[in-house]
Amino acid sequence: MRDYWLSKLFFDLQSPQVAAEFRAERDRVLAKYPLEARVKQALAENDAPFLAKRTNAYLLRYYFFTIGMKDAEFVRRLNGG
Amino acid sequence: MASFAGAFASSHGPLLVREWEAVPAAQKERLTKAFRKLGRRLDAAKPDVLVVVSPDHWSNFFLDNYPAICIGVGAMNEGPPEPWMKAFPHREIPGHPGFALHLANQSMQQGFEPALSHRLRLDHGSCIPLWRMELERLPALVPMLVNSIEPPMPSLARCYEWGSLLRKAIESFPGTARIGILATGGLSHSIGEPTMGAIHEDFDRETLRLFGSSEKDLVHYLERELPARGNGSEEVRNWLVAHGAAGGRGFELVDYLPVPAVIVGCGFAAWRAQ
Repeated sequence: MRDYWLSKLFFDLQSPQVAAEFRAERDRVLAKYPLEARVKQALAENDAPFLAKRTNAYLLRYYFFTIGMKDAEFVRRLNGG
Repeated sequence: MASFAGAFASSHGPLLVREWEAVPAAQKERLTKAFRKLGRRLDAAKPDVLVVVSPDHWSNFFLDNYPAICIGVGAMNEGPPEPWMKAFPHREIPGHPGFALHLANQSMQQGFEPALSHRLRLDHGSCIPLWRMELERLPALVPMLVNSIEPPMPSLARCYEWGSLLRKAIESFPGTARIGILATGGLSHSIGEPTMGAIHEDFDRETLRLFGSSEKDLVHYLERELPARGNGSEEVRNWLVAHGAAGGRGFELVDYLPVPAVIVGCGFAAWRAQ
């Protein structure tokens, strides 16, 4: 399953400008995307397994890279750790 | 008519740039040698045009429209958009509309229907090998983006057929241009999955062995094994295009080494022009 808007957010965050805006004003950027409440919660909690079911794996990795999470921590979270 | 100048293949991966300093010295030296060796072979083939077969890592396409195959037919393409690829020496890269459009027309006539783009961003998938091979001169590039990122993807057999079609297009292109192929990606790696970081050396070595054997055995093996070998391994499709262009013959392994620091089974290969 693909959550279009979640995927679009991750896709757009590849832009350094959007990524900088996201880091500075996360809620303002999130408000541009019609995300479900549960998806917003998963983003807030860095719930990688939940998000992984809804987007492409490459986009998911870009997202966690963009927010500054190290790969080891990302993989730990993906595995439910 | 134009001639086939040979085919070449190289792995890529962001960490080859972003985490290069973390690669152990011995592996760094071997990777550097492998890239350079491949580059020397490509230089020696003297291609006027290089068809670069690579995936698009969400640099051009999104879920709105993700083509199975896209051929870059523009006069100019853009260098990599990734901020960490800033040091790549080309911000614009000349294309070769003449051959690209010939390839597109030949494709349509043969019942293959690629998407076309008049301006593409060539991301790290294309540009890391081009950079690290330290080519004497960058030929005009015709990008051929093969979806190996977002399912469903073109079948493995179809990718081989694309290679055969590419060869026919080269040999029916008026003029005397020498046209080579560079396939990038693979071998085994896993990105953004719970298995991220896994390298399947057994799979990589068997895949490389089968490139020297029958393409049917190779395709059957890949069809069976790919689903369990990490999503990045799907990029071997690009190698199949090169293999098809070479007629399934002349494969020569330049080097292979699994590199955990860049989470890729790194392969380098060439096909003799024959």
